[in-house]
Amino acid sequence: MTCQRFEELLSAYLEGELAAAEKAVVDAHLATCPDCAALLALMKDMTGAMAAFPEAEPSPALLSRLYAIPAAKREKRKFFRPAFDWLTRPALQPVYAAFTVLFIALSFVLFHPEGRGIRKQINVKFHRGVGTVEKLYAEAGSIKGEIGALTGNVVKSFNSLGLLGGDEKKQ
Amino acid sequence: MELDTVIRECLAGSQGAWKTLMDTFAKRIFNMAYQFCGSRQEAEDRTQDVFLKLHGALPKYDFGKNFTAWLLTLAKNHLIDEYRRTKWEKTQRDEFDDRVLAQPAHDGPETSLVEKETKALVWEGLNRLSADMRMVIILRDLQGKSYEEVAEILSLPLGTVKSRVNRARIQLAQVLREYRGGTS
Repeated sequence: MTCQRFEELLSAYLEGELAAAEKAVVDAHLATCPDCAALLALMKDMTGAMAAFPEAEPSPALLSRLYAIPAAKREKRKFFRPAFDWLTRPALQPVYAAFTVLFIALSFVLFHPEGRGIRKQINVKFHRGVGTVEKLYAEAGSIKGEIGALTGNVVKSFNSLGLLGGDEKKQ
Repeated sequence: MELDTVIRECLAGSQGAWKTLMDTFAKRIFNMAYQFCGSRQEAEDRTQDVFLKLHGALPKYDFGKNFTAWLLTLAKNHLIDEYRRTKWEKTQRDEFDDRVLAQPAHDGPETSLVEKETKALVWEGLNRLSADMRMVIILRDLQGKSYEEVAEILSLPLGTVKSRVNRARIQLAQVLREYRGGTS
């Protein structure tokens, strides 16, 4: 048996929880190892002293403070309840949840070690988005112009071909 | 009066029932706090905190559970949290004072002297253990709880508790050996 194994079994040995065969191995080790025998003696000494460890009495001042806890809490509740009672309404729970999510997202952006990069990325994405929308608008405008011009041309062509009878009569 | 009845009356707002509850548990929690933090002033503050928490948590108590273990778990959590938050381990423990922690000696004067010295060294040595090790020693060896009770209070498997108690005892024994080696 090694000293390390003896240490692992020390409490079980002291408390008489070892099987007879294991106890015999420990006894044999103790007979040959003065260090472990000294540790066992010290441990016996220590656990004996701890078993008879004296208890301290709580002071009367502490006891009176403990007795007064319910009354003190009632007083505190009386003082705070009228002013802050509305804050504990269950109807506000979704609002608190939304704010919590918002704050977490915000704190992540503001205080994350790479927050600057994240903010920069958001900025770039946002501006890119705005640019794309502007481009789409411009394209939409030019398409509208083209359609207008095309419509004018088609009307003119019809007129010149005399397909629109009304106009020909006028001329 | 049965403990469950006392708790129900506390929940109904009975001052007498609360006083009974305090008389039953104040000394136990105060001693646990005193042994853990080593300062009477600190222990009084922490005891008050624990019972303030208990008063707030009492409506959530499950009557099917062991109240003592539940309260000790609450106390243990508070003590360890405060220990980690404020780092009392850097503060000194009160002197091991027999006038404060008085108990009659049951053996001869020589044995009593050795035992007293060992107790004083254990008291000092507790400060050298980590919060978890200190708590396990307090519950098992100073408060005399069974391994099963300690496992319930710490919410740990029985085997883990047994090996932790063993390691804590060995650490404390080594501290004692150091102290004795230094003084002899």
